Amino acid sequence: MCKKAFFVSGIIVLASALATLAQVRVTKSAGTKSVLNWAGFTISQSPGAREFYQTLEKDLTRSGWFSLTRSAPGEFSLQGSCADDGGSLKIECAVYGAADQKRYLSRAYRQASREAPRVAHRVADDIVEAITGRKGIASTRLAMVGTRSGKKELYLCDADGKNVVQLTRDGTVSVAPKWGPQGRQLLYTSYLKRFPDVYLVDVGNGARRALAKYPGLNTGGALSPNGRDVTLILSKDGNPELYVKNINGGALTRLTQTGRAAEASPSWSPDGQRIVYVSDRSGRPQLYTISRTGGEPVRLTSRGFENVAPDWGPNGLIAFASSIGGTYQVHVIDPESKQVKQLSLDGADYEDPSWAPDGRHIACTRTERYRSKVYILDTMGDPPVALTDYQGDWYSPAWAPQ
Amino acid sequence: MRIAWWKFLVLGVLVGSVAVTGCKKKPKAGGAFGDDNIGGVMGTDIYGDPLDLRPGEGARYEEGQFSPVYFEYDSSQVSPSERGKLDSVASELRSRSNVGLVVEGHCDERGSREYNLALGERRALAVRAYLIGLGVEGSLIQTKSYGEEQPADMGHDEGAWSANRRAEFVLFY
Repeated sequence: MCKKAFFVSGIIVLASALATLAQVRVTKSAGTKSVLNWAGFTISQSPGAREFYQTLEKDLTRSGWFSLTRSAPGEFSLQGSCADDGGSLKIECAVYGAADQKRYLSRAYRQASREAPRVAHRVADDIVEAITGRKGIASTRLAMVGTRSGKKELYLCDADGKNVVQLTRDGTVSVAPKWGPQGRQLLYTSYLKRFPDVYLVDVGNGARRALAKYPGLNTGGALSPNGRDVTLILSKDGNPELYVKNINGGALTRLTQTGRAAEASPSWSPDGQRIVYVSDRSGRPQLYTISRTGGEPVRLTSRGFENVAPDWGPNGLIAFASSIGGTYQVHVIDPESKQVKQLSLDGADYEDPSWAPDGRHIACTRTERYRSKVYILDTMGDPPVALTDYQGDWYSPAWAPQ
Repeated sequence: MRIAWWKFLVLGVLVGSVAVTGCKKKPKAGGAFGDDNIGGVMGTDIYGDPLDLRPGEGARYEEGQFSPVYFEYDSSQVSPSERGKLDSVASELRSRSNVGLVVEGHCDERGSREYNLALGERRALAVRAYLIGLGVEGSLIQTKSYGEEQPADMGHDEGAWSANRRAEFVLFY
């Protein structure tokens, strides 16, 4: 074609490229990171801006996706600034791809200087999502059980382990916190009224209500993805079995009927159609899945001495703890193919896995010499990272879905 | 032919004692003698013995009346060596009115917390089923599992674990 037409069509293509932001998506194989050069990002010298900078650096590193540099050329560059007008931070941020020259992100932020970490978490998450297409985890929170008050209470903290807040003051034993689908409600088992009952707590205002206080055991409370149903493990009919209860109407459906076995630990599939749980009907605790309306359970695991504590992640994979050679290690199983991968491997016990909303990281309990801390594991090869390093034992983490 | 006379005496005593106490019929459902051996774990068929309402908020509780009953690892079966303790509990309950019992089931620290809540409950239910088999009213017996959350022994060896695999008894009025 003639040179002129070529030139014109080139202009049109370039114009449309600049007009729309690049659509993701960079996929990385396990262990490789994108080099992100942020030499073009400047900050003013105030405490607030410095705190923003340090938090952003840690968040981008903890995301697992990037290797940050200010010198080497990177696959991506982060440009912009963080200015402090004495009270509030003004941030501008743009991300460019080096190879394709596309702009992946362009955004401005404003936040009070004393809330520098909060806006840094947001910026980090926006950068992660723009480049990888995956949700960021920097702005998320975890719930867990802590013993530092002398009792077993629920606590919240940020995804970097900061801002630990005590959520319950039941003065007794709390077990198995699980988040509702919007990250606003927590379900857990408490002996507040002397017997194990399932409660739902609104994390914002602290309001609580009992979801199950039948005779016998009430535990295993987990809300379905649409927030309408809750799984329960109840023994009121003579044996611990799996039930589903509608949280508004109260209609209770029994899913299992195993007179000589115990069920435990239910977790919903991301589409809310199936539930994974533990049963020892074969003689030892193994994982099964069952339809939310009941029917024939499908056995998932057969190897290993004990397979327990499943968590069905947003990516469709199920994390769980398997007892192997005397310790518990976190594994991940694909319920479709039944392929299993072991995640953790050292002399400690790794239990109670909980998927992060990025579908990549997993929080869990790590117990060594009988002391427990919450750790974060990476399914793409980064080493485990301690989340909590505070007085007392910390365990049974639940990563908020948003 | 000389017949050992003392054998007749023994037989007579046995027949006499059966006549006096009557044949104790063990109910099929709710019995603690489940003889199904699933994967090495003796199962107790306690299906179908629903629990009655819990004690009200004003109830008074009394601990320490009875010795705990202990369990083998990963088992919820009441072993023969422990049954004598339950005989005492049963006769105490049968001899008193207006008193109920909470059976608290516990586990050692191994295993997941959620699974241990269910296992502890199965231990409490097995004890309840045995007591029902001894003639105690089911409506008087509540179950409560603590899983691994309230160990009696804070150690981390088999001695501590054995001491923690237990059912404890709390009376209520």
